[in-house]
Amino acid sequence: MAVHLFLVRPLMRLLFGVNVVGRENIEGLDRFVIIANHNSHLDIFLLFAALPAGQITRTHPVAARDYFEKPKILFKAVQFLMQPVWVTRGESGLGAIKEMQKRLDAGHSLIIFPEGTRGEPGKLEEFHAGIGLLARKNSDVPVIPVYLEGPERAFPREVAFPLPLWNHVTVGPPQRLQGESHDIADRLHDHLKALADEEQALRQRRTEGPHRPYCVAVIGIDGSGKSTVSKRLAGASQGESCFIGDNLELFKDGTLRDAQPLVTEQVRKWMSRQAKATKDLAHYKVPKLAELLLRDQLLSQVERWYRPDAIFMDGAPLLNMAGWAILYHEEYFNADVCAKALDILCGRDGGLQKDPIFAQFPELRLMSRLNLNHLHLPDAVIFLDVDPDVSMTRITSRGEKVQAHEDVAKLTKLQSAYRLVCEVLESRCRVCRLEGNKDLETLVSEAHSFVASRED
Amino acid sequence: MLDQSPSIFSLIGLLALSVVWGVAALSRGRWTMLDLARPLWGIFLAIAVAEWFSFGVALWILAVLSFCALREYLSLVDIRLQDRWGILVCYLSIPFMFYLIQINWYGFFIVSIPVYAFLLMPFFVALGGRSEGIVFSVGALDFGLFFYVFCIGHLAYLMFFSTRIAMLMVATVAVAGVIAQLLQRRNVIVSLLVQILASVALFAGLAGWTGIPAVHCVGVGILIPVLVCLGRFTLKQIEGDLGIRADRLQPGRGRLIEALKCYLFTVPITFHYLRWFLKWGDELW
Repeated sequence: MAVHLFLVRPLMRLLFGVNVVGRENIEGLDRFVIIANHNSHLDIFLLFAALPAGQITRTHPVAARDYFEKPKILFKAVQFLMQPVWVTRGESGLGAIKEMQKRLDAGHSLIIFPEGTRGEPGKLEEFHAGIGLLARKNSDVPVIPVYLEGPERAFPREVAFPLPLWNHVTVGPPQRLQGESHDIADRLHDHLKALADEEQALRQRRTEGPHRPYCVAVIGIDGSGKSTVSKRLAGASQGESCFIGDNLELFKDGTLRDAQPLVTEQVRKWMSRQAKATKDLAHYKVPKLAELLLRDQLLSQVERWYRPDAIFMDGAPLLNMAGWAILYHEEYFNADVCAKALDILCGRDGGLQKDPIFAQFPELRLMSRLNLNHLHLPDAVIFLDVDPDVSMTRITSRGEKVQAHEDVAKLTKLQSAYRLVCEVLESRCRVCRLEGNKDLETLVSEAHSFVASRED
Repeated sequence: MLDQSPSIFSLIGLLALSVVWGVAALSRGRWTMLDLARPLWGIFLAIAVAEWFSFGVALWILAVLSFCALREYLSLVDIRLQDRWGILVCYLSIPFMFYLIQINWYGFFIVSIPVYAFLLMPFFVALGGRSEGIVFSVGALDFGLFFYVFCIGHLAYLMFFSTRIAMLMVATVAVAGVIAQLLQRRNVIVSLLVQILASVALFAGLAGWTGIPAVHCVGVGILIPVLVCLGRFTLKQIEGDLGIRADRLQPGRGRLIEALKCYLFTVPITFHYLRWFLKWGDELW
């Protein structure tokens, strides 16, 4: 206790500054369970700094043993300062819950971080169920929600050193809860969230960036239904949305509306017809590349002139180019090349100037030289994975002229290329892979729920 | 230091402020200390120590005050994760600058923050490696460094030349602040005129004690209330953006910054006015 009062507390105050709001909520209680958000190693010291002096030796945090086990001196120090209830991650929590119960029965108090581990800075994760179980069993022990603001700035995860910045410990009113355990956990989560919102509402924020539409690309081989799916998604979207496919359509709350025609769109359509009319792959390349570049240009113009809330694209110029490389240079095509090509086409090719990829794909060099390498990376990608045989029957049943690349062998290759592109993309944007052999309605509803689940 | 002998006023001021603080602390919330008086206590402590004990120690008391103000400012401003090295440089420039005051190297002191810290800090922010938002980060850190380190450093240098003038200036700022509070509902011009009258009277009345010539007593007497007014106006807008609100002036949420706002404009300009017209430091060249 002396160490806490005369060493840890003054040090925390001197270096970081500790401001405790609502100390009266904790004074006078002889037994309690504190729950708090967890962002930093400072959290536990802050909570101990907020405790009344008499409670310091009678309060124990719950800590992960594997994290503090090495080095031994750390384990000893933690054991000496706090006598924590040790939990081994990955094991069943029942043993730990029993130990916690034992401490509560002995008249001691607990500190629990119900998020389990240090989460994203400033974000409250879901609570683990253990706190609910404990609170339900001990309905006479008040649970005190405490919100810690500041440690996520003073000493967040993955930084080398702490910085002197103020910390605010907001102690909420004690809660006595009854009901189902997950229900209790949810209610405590809401309590802490309310405290967090209240604290964060007044923080200084920089102005937000300019309006950017949410861009969703539906990709897949020809005949996978991507055009229909993306158009239906645009139609089902709230607010202003735009569909870019074989033609350009603008929707407002689901109804089609007129839009000022764009010259680029007319040029693109003409180019698209040229590409479709070619007989072999060699002649297909240049008009198709031009068409894709124009399509990307169109995307910029749509963003600029129509300012929609969301854009749904039938294919994405960037991803189509990356995927189509397989038809021309299958021998070089792999995940690494694909990732590099995506970086180059997005204009993020720092340090790649002398890479062999430019020799393998001279088109990339030409495009970088011409400064045509600033294509849009969509915010979300939906990949429709269709059996090439199925798509081939769909293509023939359309009754249109079959294009140069539309046969089962080439479509199978393309399919595998798109799969690879999606794997690479997973670290760059949201990706969803849908089984395309299902009927259209299910596909659309699945795609819609994926788009709707984005975080704002 | 130019003053001949330590004065009893610093001890009286310190004692009076301590009594106020003690009463406020013992009253268990019935009375609270004026927020204005908290940094005033620190400054008077520094002045008393400088007069009766050692300027070297007093200097570092002001350095702690500067550290606390900068820490509070940085806690309020929206910083990015990548600015951490830059913030570290900000903190380290406090001992750097105060050491230059201690060894009385005026030429280096005056460029330490506006040249060296303002160039070094953006470099370290850039080391963070994220371009987006860097202009705002550097701007925000520059601002904090300038106001809460450089301007408060001027107070230390003023103390180096004359603790009596420093004391009188701090007291005048406090008086001007109190008058501004009292005449809040009146016309700004009326309030300002009353403040100027009071401050000129203070400076002229104590001219014999401070040793400032009569004409400059009037000059400084007019200057201080005007600068206090400008500082209050400017900092009020900035506090609005930082989320400092009168109803939650807690430690770490702008209590210190709020109380210091009257000094930030006043201290450096008064210092340079006096240094220029009274030819302080000229004997060095």
